[in-house]
Amino acid sequence: MTSARWTRRHFLQVAGAGAAAAAVPGFLSSCLSSGSSSSSGPPKPATLSLYVAKDTARPQAQAQLFDMIKAQFEKENPGSSFTYDTYASAAEETTKLETSAAAQEGPDIFEFGSTLVPTANATGAFEVFTDDMWNHIGGKKIFFPPQLTMSGPSPDKLIAVPVSGNPWAMVHNKAMFQAAGISQVPTTWDDFVSAAKEMTNGTTQWGTAMAPADGFDPWHKIWLFVTQLGGQLMDSTGKKGLLDSNESVEACAFWLDWMAKYKIAARQDAAFKGADEVRAFATGKIGMSVMTGPGGMGTWDNSPVAGQYEYTLGPTIPVGMSSLPPGGKAAQGFVSGQYYTLFKYSKNQELALNLLKVVVSPEIQYQYFQLRKQQPVVLATFDKYPELKQGNWAALYDAALKAYPTPFFSAWGPLEVEVGKAINKIASQIGITGSYSMSDLKAALTQVNQELQASLG
Amino acid sequence: MSIKGAALRVAVAAGLRTPRGPRRRSALPVPYWLLSPSLIPLAVIVFVPMAFALYISLTGLNQNTIGDWTHAPFVGLKHYLDGLDPRGPLAPSFYTSIKASVIFSVATTLFILPIGVGAALLLNGRLRGRTFLRAVMLLPYIIPTFVNGILWRLVFMTDTGIADQIMAALHLGPRDTFWLIGPRSLWALILADVWASWPFIYLMALAALQTIPADVHDAARIDGATPVRIFRRITLPLIAPTLGLGIALSTINHFNNFALPYVMFGPTPPDEVNVMPLNIYVNSFITFNLGLGAAMSVVALLIMLTPAVIYLRAARIGDTD
Repeated sequence: MTSARWTRRHFLQVAGAGAAAAAVPGFLSSCLSSGSSSSSGPPKPATLSLYVAKDTARPQAQAQLFDMIKAQFEKENPGSSFTYDTYASAAEETTKLETSAAAQEGPDIFEFGSTLVPTANATGAFEVFTDDMWNHIGGKKIFFPPQLTMSGPSPDKLIAVPVSGNPWAMVHNKAMFQAAGISQVPTTWDDFVSAAKEMTNGTTQWGTAMAPADGFDPWHKIWLFVTQLGGQLMDSTGKKGLLDSNESVEACAFWLDWMAKYKIAARQDAAFKGADEVRAFATGKIGMSVMTGPGGMGTWDNSPVAGQYEYTLGPTIPVGMSSLPPGGKAAQGFVSGQYYTLFKYSKNQELALNLLKVVVSPEIQYQYFQLRKQQPVVLATFDKYPELKQGNWAALYDAALKAYPTPFFSAWGPLEVEVGKAINKIASQIGITGSYSMSDLKAALTQVNQELQASLG
Repeated sequence: MSIKGAALRVAVAAGLRTPRGPRRRSALPVPYWLLSPSLIPLAVIVFVPMAFALYISLTGLNQNTIGDWTHAPFVGLKHYLDGLDPRGPLAPSFYTSIKASVIFSVATTLFILPIGVGAALLLNGRLRGRTFLRAVMLLPYIIPTFVNGILWRLVFMTDTGIADQIMAALHLGPRDTFWLIGPRSLWALILADVWASWPFIYLMALAALQTIPADVHDAARIDGATPVRIFRRITLPLIAPTLGLGIALSTINHFNNFALPYVMFGPTPPDEVNVMPLNIYVNSFITFNLGLGAAMSVVALLIMLTPAVIYLRAARIGDTD
């Protein structure tokens, strides 16, 4: 072996060349991975991996839908395909998000619910869509506008593509309304309480139902009432919890009073989760269910209430008031639905965009409605298929237009849990004793607000 | 190395003197070299993650920093103080969880001990269908925990659950007794876990009973000892070391039980059943406060060392004499 004499200059030349050799593929790779649709040729064939929410109500319909998507995707992208794995709970969803973000390794496409998109955005593990990327799948303009409000922190930093909507509206039992002589759906919460009282017999039949033991229902309802009252659950900076504000206390008290004061919901509801409320409505003994998505239809269409239930807009005027207070919003619910995101460390981003293009095509979007009873999010679908704005879906469409986005804060997840803790605690008291005290409610909300504050740092 | 040399090293390892000359002191005693193939993986698998968890507990690792977790801000003992300082914002939740976990694990162990030992005594004797019964006894233990959780949630549903219906039929309580919320939730959890875990003590006790020679019992009987006296004076002392291990392991297992309370009560459980694993899970994986979750894990580990140390001291495990 010949020993070459290494000068400083020689070393720098070789090291520079080495660094360039290492950097150029990286640079090229990063250019490709930008996902721009402007690249000349089609993406290299590959098998994409998806991590999506399990449709626990209609697993077969979900499998059927994915078969249709796969057939279309494989036809448009010869040699490529995809596999999907599902999560059945928010806990699985967040666990996968954390591990993938920390390891920088995971599925090419993640599906998130709207309120988890801010958390996903905070991890920095998902690609911000460029205009080219949006154009590749049809442009931002093809989507139902409210859905994009939960796609990212600002219009130029969107990370999530809407794939389906979950509008919130009120559903009522028409037979019970008729039997109680109620001709109009309540538009104020005072009217709601009066109507519910009319339908309540205190033993087997109740004006409404609630699910305070659910992981999500408490914050859904409290957010609704607080928004209508003109308040917020967190201040505009996202750094300060407002769970102990007057509006929050008032909102919690009103909801809990359905069991404790107005007696329009059964005490047994104190242990209810969301699915229990859906089942209770299916018995035909519950008059109204507030802030309900289309998910219950699958159960109700095969129950005594089949053909007897109707979705409408829910009340918006707070209890004791005749109009919205200053700052109050006529909210029907928050912008809700499912979103697909591109994992930043995916090596198949361009191919993943091709898959998203298939998912948001009007034909596949219609199948979300047809097979899974979910609301499409692409405007052309509503034009092409009129049944999407008919019957119960007309009210759900209106409700989607009157939905407000929740603040795009990454700490929204902790807030959901803390609201649930306080409600669960007081609802337990009501379930066991039939009543609660305002001081206990305030103490519980102060405690969870402190805990929220600690997690906000 | 020659066979003779290897034999010599083994002899040294066993503590035997070499036939010639004084024992030489080596830099690292041979037994440790022999243990290294298992000690090194053990260190990598157990101690490195523990050290990592300790480090995480001192950082503000959360959803904003997890993408670049090596640069999560160092917050020192903040999480420990937030939880353990009685004036800390998380102290109520922290202490509630510690209390719930201790009561749940100790109570469950106390309940399963007599059930397990009783079943073992019954099936250790001559009994028709003994093999079949021994297999049946294991059923609750082999059913997946999440299935148990779902079953017991249905049992304890207010009004419609079997528990309420039986209580109402026997006039022991109203049909709308709440088991899944409020103070009774602790009893619901204990009952569900007792049902699922008593076969563990049964297995330990049965294994210990089968090591007792039949002559010992025969001799006692010939001497006129009653069955109760035989159990107290002979059987119990002979199975006590195994039972001690069973109690320690059982307490630790119940303390660490996450799946059952999670399936029965979800991520926002009543205070009475907000056990530490559930609280740690919610903090780490629902609210993304991984630093706090790690701090709670470290505290849980320290608490769990208590039964382990008590058992080791009582059984004198590790003593060389």
